[in-house]
Amino acid sequence: MTYLVNRLLSVALTLLLISLITFMVTNILPGDVAMVIMGTQSNPEALAGLRESLGLNDPLVVQYGRWIIGILTGDWGNSLVFKEAIGPLILDKVVASSLIVVLSMTIALSFAVPLGVWAAVHRDKWQDNTASTTALFGVSLPDFFFGIMLILLFARYLGWLPSSGFVHPAEDFFGAVRHAFLPSLALGLGLMAHLTRMTRSTLLSILGQDYIRMARAKGLRERTVIWRCALANAIGPVMTVAGLQVGYLFGSIIVIESLFNFTGMGWLTYQALLNRDIPLIQSTVFVIAAVVMLTNLIVDLLYTLVDPRIKLS
Amino acid sequence: MKQFLTGKGIFGGCILLLVVAVALFAPLLIPDTWATQMDMRARLSGPSLAHPLGTDQLGRDLMYRMLLGAQTSVMIAGTAVLMSLVIGLPLGVISGYFGGWIDNVLMRLVDTLLAFPALLLALTISAVLGPNLTNTIIAIGIAFTPYLARIIRGEALRVSQLPYVEAARSVGTSHGKMILRHILPNIMPPIIVQATISLAFAILAEAGLSFLGLGTQPPDASWGLMIQASRDYLDIAPWTALVPGAAVAITVLGLNMFGDVLRDVLDPRIA
Repeated sequence: MTYLVNRLLSVALTLLLISLITFMVTNILPGDVAMVIMGTQSNPEALAGLRESLGLNDPLVVQYGRWIIGILTGDWGNSLVFKEAIGPLILDKVVASSLIVVLSMTIALSFAVPLGVWAAVHRDKWQDNTASTTALFGVSLPDFFFGIMLILLFARYLGWLPSSGFVHPAEDFFGAVRHAFLPSLALGLGLMAHLTRMTRSTLLSILGQDYIRMARAKGLRERTVIWRCALANAIGPVMTVAGLQVGYLFGSIIVIESLFNFTGMGWLTYQALLNRDIPLIQSTVFVIAAVVMLTNLIVDLLYTLVDPRIKLS
Repeated sequence: MKQFLTGKGIFGGCILLLVVAVALFAPLLIPDTWATQMDMRARLSGPSLAHPLGTDQLGRDLMYRMLLGAQTSVMIAGTAVLMSLVIGLPLGVISGYFGGWIDNVLMRLVDTLLAFPALLLALTISAVLGPNLTNTIIAIGIAFTPYLARIIRGEALRVSQLPYVEAARSVGTSHGKMILRHILPNIMPPIIVQATISLAFAILAEAGLSFLGLGTQPPDASWGLMIQASRDYLDIAPWTALVPGAAVAITVLGLNMFGDVLRDVLDPRIA
């Protein structure tokens, strides 16, 4: 219980720091919010008036305070480009992106774990070399390059799947998955390569331990030794790495969603950055960092379920 | 030395030598005009004798553009990693060596920065500063700093608890001398390994930034920029994406292979 309280306090502090860093980075922007709203040709008096009414002339501390109070009370302000309230806009895009994140993580894990096990069990044989080399290629290709290749193959040549666009899961679930599949695959392939390497190296270090020799000595079937005894202990570290990769995923979705014109969180962030929509940049960057941090917290808590030896303290 | 002579080590090393040689010498040997000369009659043409790797949408030779782009991509990645080392090394060493509240404050900051995906941080900084070559380096350099600082701090902490450091402390060695003579030399191997792997990520990050138009800007040629330009012509001229894509992939593959072998040799604990 004390652990949870401490941990939550630390989360609150980190969120505060995240908001501070986000605000600081975006306020170095040489751009002028008032100018973005009214255009470069607007008259100086109107600009000054707008600046005053938006509170841009206040000291940074006051502006930060107003922003953070807005975040806490649910008033996230308006996007300059989309002319919409930021809160609902982001919520909508988070739902869209979670489809891609979950799908790509599922694709990655369901291939990476068996492949990593296969490589580790056949260490230094052709199976291992094949799996390891494939994984090495996987971590070396930029994911947008995967994306381009997938568009060429599945959308242009074979015509099986759409190459761009987004369908809301509430309207047409099957259509939503069809549209999310190629971007998820593009993200999942790189992720899969990382996780395969991790599964292999973790399992290798476990297979060398005494209790595995003991399990073999007492005549357990090899399948039981690998899947029950060894993998049970490898799942924790692999899960932690998978959790850490969520951060990497949220970086990559900016590129992948833009490539596939999939209107999720990554696409929104990109539009905000391209158009220097400062209020929207602040909110998207803050939300992504917060999601990444909370995911890692959840993974830490889940860890105790997977591995009861670990006590939270 | 013998340990480097595995298939992976030789292959990775050769790729690296090739890429560095191209980055250094291509700009000296190939006149700029070869890569910028537009041949409007040969737009988006496939590989031929005149253009061994085909041409782009303006009829420019892809092979020359790829060779000259190597310099931009390698230079940006190398300088960015160097920059994150220059900032991350003192941060990490001070944090790990002194511990206490300095460590707490610095690592809290580093952990917070780690919550920002590296690419997102780099994109934001680049958009904030205005995309160009220098700012791309700064953006990637800052985005990678927390990762390196975290690893360096862990190593410094480990080494500063070893008996020989305690022995040196007991004879009154000053902090400065301790860090320079005893800590730094012993934490270098894992840092070199990490820097090599970071280089691979930096090449990918530069390609990603340029692909989104928030990295290198024309007329500079970079691999990410070439892939971006190819997007509209994928149907009729897939090689315009394949050539720069393969260049990125091969370079990163070489770095990763070399990094793997380097880790086996320098840092056998993790291997």
